[in-house]
Amino acid sequence: MARTPVGRRAREGPAADYYQPAPYDGPAGYEPGPYPDVAVAPRPVEDAPGQPLKADKSRVDEWMEVTFKFGGSKIKRKAVALVILGAPALIPLFLMVPAFLTVNQNTISVSVDDTLGTGAEICLFLCLLVTPMSTITGQRWFLPLRRWYGIMMACCAIGDATAAGITDNFAGGVFGRLAGHVFELMGFMMVMLVIPLLLTGNPWAQRKLGKYWKRLHRLIYVIWALLFAHLILLEGIGFQPGGTDDGSGFPGDGDPVFHQRLYQFGACSLFLLTLRLPPVKRWIVARQKEGRNWLVYVTVAPLFVLFVFGFTFILNEEFFKGIDSFTEHPSSE
Amino acid sequence: MSETYARGGRESTGAGGFILVVASLLAALLVLAGLIYAAGTPARHRAALAEAGCEPSLSPAGVQCTTAQMLTKRYLAVVVPARQQLAADIAAYRTNQRRDLAAAQTALMAEVTSEHAFDTSLAHITLPPAIAAIARALIRANEARATLTAKQAGSTSLTQLRSFDRRVDVASAAVQKEMKLIRAALESPAHAG
Repeated sequence: MARTPVGRRAREGPAADYYQPAPYDGPAGYEPGPYPDVAVAPRPVEDAPGQPLKADKSRVDEWMEVTFKFGGSKIKRKAVALVILGAPALIPLFLMVPAFLTVNQNTISVSVDDTLGTGAEICLFLCLLVTPMSTITGQRWFLPLRRWYGIMMACCAIGDATAAGITDNFAGGVFGRLAGHVFELMGFMMVMLVIPLLLTGNPWAQRKLGKYWKRLHRLIYVIWALLFAHLILLEGIGFQPGGTDDGSGFPGDGDPVFHQRLYQFGACSLFLLTLRLPPVKRWIVARQKEGRNWLVYVTVAPLFVLFVFGFTFILNEEFFKGIDSFTEHPSSE
Repeated sequence: MSETYARGGRESTGAGGFILVVASLLAALLVLAGLIYAAGTPARHRAALAEAGCEPSLSPAGVQCTTAQMLTKRYLAVVVPARQQLAADIAAYRTNQRRDLAAAQTALMAEVTSEHAFDTSLAHITLPPAIAAIARALIRANEARATLTAKQAGSTSLTQLRSFDRRVDVASAAVQKEMKLIRAALESPAHAG
């Protein structure tokens, strides 16, 4: 679908069409389109009582399309917003730069898993968050972030695997260090799957692959599932009672459950998964068409709060471990 | 719009609404449970500190709680790679000490670099006062060894080079002694704080 201004589309076409993903999700897309065909099939115009609502929502996209002058150049507001929202995805790699530049094997071996591994998880969740947010808000201006976060997720994951392959202490050579344990094998498979996504995450590959591009990029869901397997094998169910050698969940701050990575993953995934289910998306579209978007917000709010709750602790982990990595005094807690 | 179409539409979205409501209720319960759990954080914190043998008043400045395990792990994270690197440098020196002056000097300079790196890393670990004193002694002993090794690297002949070996061994023994002291202190919960 051409990137027609949303407002014009809302005025010209059926409201449901507003949510139709671009073929192969458009050049901005990273993961498969959010809607199954049945959910986006055009309906009669008179079946769309939510027109004023659509016009309201499209105003945000239109506002984002407006340009302003900066240093003699015309810049879209959207571009600034995307840079602001996208730049934090560079932080995990940035935090490891000193260790890589000084070839500090100690820091790399102790904390790369935490800094880049958690960074990859954060980028994956942000990548997966874009579509549900678009579904709920009806805005499309931030869709390019999906590709960006996906690329950064791939970079973090590949960096993590590379460093682990070189510096980990597991026996069996490079392959042993990468896949010598089952949880590592899951991580290794994730990295192997992310490579084709990274290589084809560009408009040229999208054109060349045609309809197969979307199918290929559904691998992101396999990666999501493998991350679950990776975490459950790494940390198990429950939480660790104490000490520093028994996984995450060190109870020093009295919140071992919140520091359990599997629970953080679950808290974030419930929102992301539910909002991807076709019946749920149909329900949301129907409520929006009725002009009852408030009902969507109220219903989705607890899921979103849970997502924020889990995500906050992932960010907490990244922040503290990342600072340790950056100062090259890695924390093994 | 036909009635059939409208009814079909409602049915097709009804399942979605049900799923969303169930998921939201589950999420709300989990958030509520999380908040209740979070309310007990201070008590769990105190219990965890006591269980881990950690007294906040004994911890180094700026660190709320440090257990013996945590300190030991931080210390080993510095010592183990440094020891490996030093062992490789010493092996390179031993290989060349009787036949290749330049290669032996290079190995010795690598030893000096490794020793300085170890000292720097050790100095960055925040330790409780009792252990910090031993760590400072260890750093002094290691610096003395590094100075001696640097002098050795400045030798102009293989004979002169080897003449330093005994003194370097004595300096190494001093370092080892301090390392044993620090390990013993780390393994003692009273010191770890």
